[in-house]
Amino acid sequence: MTVEVVGRGELADSLRGRVASDVEATVIVVAGRARAVRVSDITDDEIDEQWERPMQDLISGLQGAHARGAQRIVVVVPTTGMSGGAEYSATAALAEAARVLVKSAARQWGASGVTVNAVAVDPQTFGIDPAKSGPVSIAPRALEGAVDPTATVQWLCSAAAAHVTGQTVVCDGGLWM
Amino acid sequence: MVGRSLIDRVAIVTGAGQGVGEGIARRLAEEGARVVVAARRAETGEPVAASIRDEGGDAVCIETDVADAESVRRCVAETVARFGRLDIVVHNAFTGGIPHRLEAARVDKHWSAMSRTSVWASLFCARESYSHLVESSRRPAGDGGGRLILITSPSGVEGSANIPLYSPAKAGQRAIAKSLAREWGPDGITVNCIAPVAASPSLLTAFERNPALQQALEARTPLGRVGDITRDIGSVALFLAGDDSSYVTGQTIVCDGGSFLGL
Repeated sequence: MTVEVVGRGELADSLRGRVASDVEATVIVVAGRARAVRVSDITDDEIDEQWERPMQDLISGLQGAHARGAQRIVVVVPTTGMSGGAEYSATAALAEAARVLVKSAARQWGASGVTVNAVAVDPQTFGIDPAKSGPVSIAPRALEGAVDPTATVQWLCSAAAAHVTGQTVVCDGGLWM
Repeated sequence: MVGRSLIDRVAIVTGAGQGVGEGIARRLAEEGARVVVAARRAETGEPVAASIRDEGGDAVCIETDVADAESVRRCVAETVARFGRLDIVVHNAFTGGIPHRLEAARVDKHWSAMSRTSVWASLFCARESYSHLVESSRRPAGDGGGRLILITSPSGVEGSANIPLYSPAKAGQRAIAKSLAREWGPDGITVNCIAPVAASPSLLTAFERNPALQQALEARTPLGRVGDITRDIGSVALFLAGDDSSYVTGQTIVCDGGSFLGL
């Protein structure tokens, strides 16, 4: 069956219709496109746009998926939450909060067989400028070539991943380790 | 006062009217820092400031609602007007209703207050204090060094089955610390987090209601006890606030007696 994909942006659009599963599943792509701003200049509207509203959407999205009976829930975030990003404080907060909310949900819903995981992808997928945010890692990316997280998302949505929950699978070609 | 490692430095500690914030304020004052006890209500903040003064320290209470950007701006402005500088900001204050079931949580009722006092307030504190922390870092070695310290939680790393929305609120602060460590590193400002488990009033109340909770917490803690707000947690804050940590930034120090070992 086709997996429901919640969220906006190119990544959500590329996953929509391309991920299928043998169990009920929902994929939530967190946030829209990020924008660089130094914290000394950040406005309340920007905090609302980059942190509050996407976070509220995520909470509602998780609740909705659970209410619809999803057995697999996958949340896609940039690795910026783990690495931090200069000029992307609010976006980084969102990404890391999402990753940890996944753990809380996994702990709560595990008893009913629901798995909740995260897939972390290259920040540029979310429009984050590495020239401003700083390097994700002290080392260059290990693998060459384009990175497509679709297969990783699909596996986490499948029956085969029934005992994987609360995890973050980094799918960025070995940049963040 | 028992030491002089922070002599002349000026620190704001939010949520210092009780608990972890109070412990941190007392420990910084013991080392000579002039401390602003930033509390939402003077009824809690002023007694702490008075007690610090009675013990030979220098402290004042400034009523501050960290969820309100204007209130944070006023606190910083009053601090600098009174003391002439600002070197250290510790954001500890946190409030919010905590639902036990994620599916029952309401963003307006349960999430909003937690979000405002964690991530929003961290960004408010950073935004309003930045120019003063830069000035502190430009002072001669041994006489300054801008420091921002955010108080998070072990559950902000590992998630929580019991307090599901508290965890992401605290996780967001860790990411802010990493981001600002990168952004402010060229200015010489360090930004770090402490993830404590300590005998705060809220935890002690929980112990009274459920003695088994205290037993379970102590049993899973290698050091076998719950942390003291001043001696245990305040001392970690003192390290991060002082000169000994000048090359430490973007980090989270988990101060919980060894209960969480997952970093």
